[in-house]
Amino acid sequence: MPFSGKLAIRTAIGLGAVASLTALTACGSGGSDSSSSSSGKITGQISFQTWNLRAGYKDYFTGLIKDFEKQHPGAKVKWIDQPADNYAEKLSSDASAGTLPDVVNVSPDLSSPLAKAGVLLNLDKDPVAAKYKAQYTDAAWKGDAIPGQDGTYSFPWYLNTGPMFYNKTLFKQAGLDANKPPKTYDELFQDANKIATNSHGKIATLAGTPTIEDFGQYGVQLMSADGTKFTYNSAKGVQLLTQYKKLYDNGGLDSQALTSTPDQKGQKFKEQKVAMNPGSAYNLQDFKENAPSLYKNLGISNVPNNTGHQNMYVQSLGVSKTAKNKATAVAFAAFVTNQKNQEAFAHKVTVFPSTKGSLDKPYWSKEDGTDEGRVRVASAKQLKTAINYTPPVMTDEMKTVLQQEIAKCMQGKESPKQALDNAVAQSNKLLQQG
Amino acid sequence: MARRPSATRTHAASSPWLFLLPGLVVTAAFSLYPFVSTVWKSFTDARTLSAGTWVGLQNFTDMVHDDQFWTGLRNSLLYVVCVVPFTVMLPLLLAMLVRRYVPGISFFRAAFYTPVVASVVVVGLIWVWMLDDRGLVNGMLHAVGAGPVHFLSNQWLLLFSAMALTVWKGLGYYMIIYLAALANVPNELHEAAQMDGAGAIRRFTTVTVPAIRGTMALVGALSSVAAFKVFSEIYLLAGPSGGPGGEDTSLVMLVQRTGTGLTGRTGYASAISVVIFVITLLLMLLVLRLDRKDKE
Amino acid sequence: MSGTTTTGSATPAGAKQEGSTRRTRRRARRAERIRDAGGQLPTRSLVLRYILLLVVFAICIGPFLWQLSTSLKGTTEDIYTFPPRWFPSHPTLGNYDKVAQIIPVWDYALNSLKVAASNVVTNVIGSSMAGYALARLRFKGRKLAGVAFVMAMLVPLESIMIAQFTTMRELHLNNTLIAVVLPGCIGAMNVLLMRNAFANLPYEIEEAAIIDGANVWQRFLRVALPSVKGTIAVVAIFAFMGAWDDFLWPLIVLSDTSKFTLTVGLNYLNGTFNTNPRVVAAGTIIAVLPLIVMFACLQRFFFRGVGEGAVKG
Repeated sequence: MPFSGKLAIRTAIGLGAVASLTALTACGSGGSDSSSSSSGKITGQISFQTWNLRAGYKDYFTGLIKDFEKQHPGAKVKWIDQPADNYAEKLSSDASAGTLPDVVNVSPDLSSPLAKAGVLLNLDKDPVAAKYKAQYTDAAWKGDAIPGQDGTYSFPWYLNTGPMFYNKTLFKQAGLDANKPPKTYDELFQDANKIATNSHGKIATLAGTPTIEDFGQYGVQLMSADGTKFTYNSAKGVQLLTQYKKLYDNGGLDSQALTSTPDQKGQKFKEQKVAMNPGSAYNLQDFKENAPSLYKNLGISNVPNNTGHQNMYVQSLGVSKTAKNKATAVAFAAFVTNQKNQEAFAHKVTVFPSTKGSLDKPYWSKEDGTDEGRVRVASAKQLKTAINYTPPVMTDEMKTVLQQEIAKCMQGKESPKQALDNAVAQSNKLLQQG
Repeated sequence: MARRPSATRTHAASSPWLFLLPGLVVTAAFSLYPFVSTVWKSFTDARTLSAGTWVGLQNFTDMVHDDQFWTGLRNSLLYVVCVVPFTVMLPLLLAMLVRRYVPGISFFRAAFYTPVVASVVVVGLIWVWMLDDRGLVNGMLHAVGAGPVHFLSNQWLLLFSAMALTVWKGLGYYMIIYLAALANVPNELHEAAQMDGAGAIRRFTTVTVPAIRGTMALVGALSSVAAFKVFSEIYLLAGPSGGPGGEDTSLVMLVQRTGTGLTGRTGYASAISVVIFVITLLLMLLVLRLDRKDKE
Repeated sequence: MSGTTTTGSATPAGAKQEGSTRRTRRRARRAERIRDAGGQLPTRSLVLRYILLLVVFAICIGPFLWQLSTSLKGTTEDIYTFPPRWFPSHPTLGNYDKVAQIIPVWDYALNSLKVAASNVVTNVIGSSMAGYALARLRFKGRKLAGVAFVMAMLVPLESIMIAQFTTMRELHLNNTLIAVVLPGCIGAMNVLLMRNAFANLPYEIEEAAIIDGANVWQRFLRVALPSVKGTIAVVAIFAFMGAWDDFLWPLIVLSDTSKFTLTVGLNYLNGTFNTNPRVVAAGTIIAVLPLIVMFACLQRFFFRGVGEGAVKG
């Protein structure tokens, strides 16, 4: 059965057949690569894997590939697109069996373990790949560096960030000014508590407990500088969690907040059961089509943050170390992520390009009077200083640990300090084992 | 195991193995042999993308000190105890209900089978809607002046709701196993019982149940293994973190959480898998043993 | 369980002889129905029966109806209202059209059909053979063989998936539909189901054949198999459903988009940026319908009397 969004049921358990991988890494890092060098001729066939983009953007990618093949006669690109769920399982079985596609769509949490296993090309060390560095913003290129790993292992591709959406009707019902949404975390807690009190606990403001991004935006130092230890149990982290605990006790969080997933949070907001939810520019279309009654009363504001740096999400393209036609693979990855192609893609999808100068173009810097335009320009402005707060080494298991400990705190089983200390201790243990 | 008169051998010595060959080859090649490597990995610190080294019993001692493991074991066992009686009895009653022809029965039979094939995600969505604090069930409770009951935020209610979902989804599944078995109960037995003046309930306990006891044992065995390995139902209702504070985690959820993705702890997850394998084997043997004892 | 068991004078099962034409068989079935439904069932118990059926119906059909209703809703209709609206205000088939625009539904359905049909054939043949040997033949090592199947059934599938993938690569079968079928082509649980069915057959039915000098294969094909049609239908349904619904294994083993099965392909409907739940619902309906049809076709095998094809003469 198809599964919705990131709700991946029965995710594969990557108990790997690892024998083949050892062989693979041995030859990969040994220096004497059997595969070609990236400075060779751009020709031959490569495979290119995207993650769930076929359904909406098939024409864009076939056009892109045609352009590339025209520019480089003899080069051939085979496009593979993976469906929404279990992408990590697909990557891990391919990496284990040595069948990773030549150019592959990754996000930092995926490229980090792949790079560590030695299956991705280090772009900084590759003379040809490094030449393309200039086409991206410095932040984006650095954003693809992995703590604890020397170098950059993927070409920056599209970025995303987003506004905070709120429900004006619910704000009004709770006696708040619907045109004055909270700007900082302090205001957020104030307003949320007010909403809870005024509605006698009937209207919740938020659908979830804080995630690691919230800690980051609140100004909490998440990891030690060398990336070997988690540090979000600092006084500031405890302060944030204490605020949330108060809010929870007041009825400011939805009753299922302790266990909710990002999809479920969005759902609650669309069902108008919570008053606020962070989102992305492309959600506007979703609201318009699927929750028109919400869309009529939709308020748009900035996600509160104390650092001046908004959170962003990053997608990039890695090149397999064992690609047969490495020159073609590198050239194609750089081609997909060059300014012209990224901008064209971002026009189609309402995501944002990571190439130098793109966000200064009128499309991303001048409002056109529509809601979409307003959100787009605001987001683009935030992106210039945005940070990907989520540490790439933070695995899903560590995120679950955090969510569980926070839940225990909300239920009053642990103090905020205890909860965060426990979460940090468990995560550090997992980090060391890796 | 059904007992039968010890027939003299009426076949060539090689025939049974010819019958078994395809099944055994597939089973050995694609289930048992790969599982050997899982067992081996349970003694290593392998991860998804690295082979790891031999660590002896480290994973198993880690497990003993892992609170989540004990929570998972408790929940999985509780699941078996609470779910299996229902998955053995309700589908049987359902099968008895739809067995007999009445106009429109085919329609009902197909309808009763739909929960089995319906998308798990959609089913989860609907159940969450129904059990939400402001959902259908609480709406009805409110109408009679009760509630609200926090089905989806209380650790125990979440677990029981997931159990109800399991039973509901299993109704049609086990129903058809029973239907096939009921078709083999000779009518003559019922007729004889009826002539003796036995009522419906009496006929059920004296004719139907003994005739399909083997099938009931099989359904019991299958559903206890399935219940012990519960994943989707809890995952859907209680979320990937396994309920508030992870209190509703099942063992298979723990395997999924620790072993999946590119950073999965293959060694540890393998060790839990081995434990699951051993416990389900014991469960299966227990159920079949009970069945044999009943007969004797 | 008032009146749930068949009553009345049974048509002698043996009346339906081998070689009876399709038509007579159908007539016989009709006769059976009439007998079953006949006036012997008092009105009170008939009403009670329908009430029970309707109650279970309401419990079972909810999610399916909701899926159907969502799939028929137009783009202007709010689908997140509470309480949920069960009837689309402007029913449309547009969402089904959209599914077909986004993915090649027919190609994927054909792939799924190939996989599911092969899975049915291999499972029915393989597990009835193995089940027959385990239940009806005496030989050294029988217990051991039985234990092998029980153990295979208990192996946590997820834990061996990457090992299976590596095996397929070594066999040069990865990225083929054969690789999708192979690991589950003779399910251990189906073997146990068949074993159970054969074990429950009265021993007498084979005795006559033994006296007639039939060899073991003849007995298997002509006597034993026809007596367990119901269970064969169960195995067929389970095999079909298992192959049709499987997501993770085909996803792992296939890499060409064009070879995807329907379940994998439908996952594309959950877009990275935007998901239209109506289209997803239409997709799930497309995926579920063949299973319900399959069930509707095979269900009649569950309701034939024991006599049919079993004790002959």
